[in-house]
Amino acid sequence: MATYARPVERLITELSKLPSIGPRSAQRIAFHIVRGKPDDAYGLAEALKEVKERIKPCRRCFNLTEAEECDICRDTRRDDAVICAVEDPYDIGPIERTGEYRGLYHVLGGALSPLDGIEPEDLRIAELVERIREEGTKEIVVATNPNTTGEATALFIAQEVADLPVRVTALASGLPVGGDLEYADEVTLGRAFAGRREL
Amino acid sequence: MTPYLRALRLINFRNYADDTVLLKPGLNIVVGENAQGKTNLLEAIAFAVTGSSPRTPSDPEVVRWGADFARTEARIAVGGSGQERMVAVGYAPGQKKRLTVDGAPGPALSAYAAGGAGVRAVNFFPDDIRIVKGAPSDRREYLDDLLSILRPAYARAALDYAKAVQQRNQLLRRIRDGFSSERTLATWDRKVVDLGEQILRGRDEAMPVLDEHFASSLRALYGPEKAAVHYSHSAAPEDYAEALREAHDADIERGTTSVGPHRDDFEVSLGGVDLTTFGSQGQQRMATLALKFAARDHVRGVTGEDPILLFDDVMSELDGRRREFLAGYFLESTQAVISTTNLEYFDEEILRRAQVVRISGGAIMETTTDGVMERVAERHGSFRTA
Repeated sequence: MATYARPVERLITELSKLPSIGPRSAQRIAFHIVRGKPDDAYGLAEALKEVKERIKPCRRCFNLTEAEECDICRDTRRDDAVICAVEDPYDIGPIERTGEYRGLYHVLGGALSPLDGIEPEDLRIAELVERIREEGTKEIVVATNPNTTGEATALFIAQEVADLPVRVTALASGLPVGGDLEYADEVTLGRAFAGRREL
Repeated sequence: MTPYLRALRLINFRNYADDTVLLKPGLNIVVGENAQGKTNLLEAIAFAVTGSSPRTPSDPEVVRWGADFARTEARIAVGGSGQERMVAVGYAPGQKKRLTVDGAPGPALSAYAAGGAGVRAVNFFPDDIRIVKGAPSDRREYLDDLLSILRPAYARAALDYAKAVQQRNQLLRRIRDGFSSERTLATWDRKVVDLGEQILRGRDEAMPVLDEHFASSLRALYGPEKAAVHYSHSAAPEDYAEALREAHDADIERGTTSVGPHRDDFEVSLGGVDLTTFGSQGQQRMATLALKFAARDHVRGVTGEDPILLFDDVMSELDGRRREFLAGYFLESTQAVISTTNLEYFDEEILRRAQVVRISGGAIMETTTDGVMERVAERHGSFRTA
């Protein structure tokens, strides 16, 4: 027997499907919505609907966009000789906020992981190779996550484009800037040591 | 001055609801009947200073029956002038372990065990004889545990290596069963070799040093015959990548990775004889102790500080001469905590210099000045003020 009226139960069930929301949080959010103003709830429903109806992957880089191509791909001031390959669309935000990168992106859609059954065909690696060929890209910056699967994906991309006249680079790993050395975790600090540079 | 453990409070740890033990530098003898909790106390000390139990990989086991969390609080003397560090490890099943150093969130577990708590530990439990007697995985675990408490980066590499091998194994099986092509195999080879080489470098660097320490320890414990530990690679380090490539077909068929540090072993020998296969129980036990002493010497050589020695039921099954040798060894250590059922193993002179901790009725007791035994935890504030 359900504890609450069926629509409320349904809302709780739907909410608890979201990442990092457990049953308790789902219940709290559901009751917040039930208690709240109708307009807030409709606004949320509308936003959910809109995002599913209007957002699609950019046909060139697979970033999320409302148009055929995303804003970054359409921006003629950007350097189209460089492509930064990332795992997910949300990896673009942090890189954009650095203001240091003026090239284009390519969203792979994940990382290679035999354990999860993720093969090169499940990622947009062929599309990346095709783009490099067509656009005459000079450099690929592979910015996959610094973990086992991300690093394997980076190695695989390097291997796939080995025959093309393109430079393949990866992000350096090192210390967070502005913090104190003593607060860096040992593994990060250890890597920073391994990758130390001449002054 | 080398750090040592001054006091430990155990809350809901194994059989202890809330008990306190006070320790001294040098030899501490935990004495009590069987099944009172001597081993649990040594385990708790290791848990407190490394963040995990040396006896089980399953943390829920250390939580007292019926309790919903376990916690250890340790006061560690660091530096000369009474300087102290207070470290706590809290664990509730289903939650992330909480490590604190002086009240603030502690470092990552690997860094905590590698000196982040203020002191390292080398422990011996009777079951450790499997290092000599048992499977290659037992010997690799000994090496990995030792190198991990010296370098968090090694611990991390070992973890990542295991993950990469797991991924490669799954890929091999997918290829075998027709779900994957061989396209990405070279990629995973490279990742595996990359991490595997970090592990090999660590082990190759340590082995000659351990060999020397082991030989001299076993000579002192056992006799003049030449003792040695010798690493054997499943593939020569210089041909590692090549060997992995050559193993492709066989690996695909079996669905596992057949070469690399996870398949290596080391031989423990005495007078040229392999103790794993041909050693007597006594020789294997002595060799295990010698490996533990070698670990102690190596930690001291690398860090300049002695680890705490935690040796469970080490005196039984030894003859008088060896007991005397061990007692002397522990007395000269910065700090050793050993357990026994029988105080008669120690002569009076040693008992006079050692701290004796009594376990009775599942509680940690001390003898007060008027000769009455009482629980250490009963004395108001004993943990904080000792």
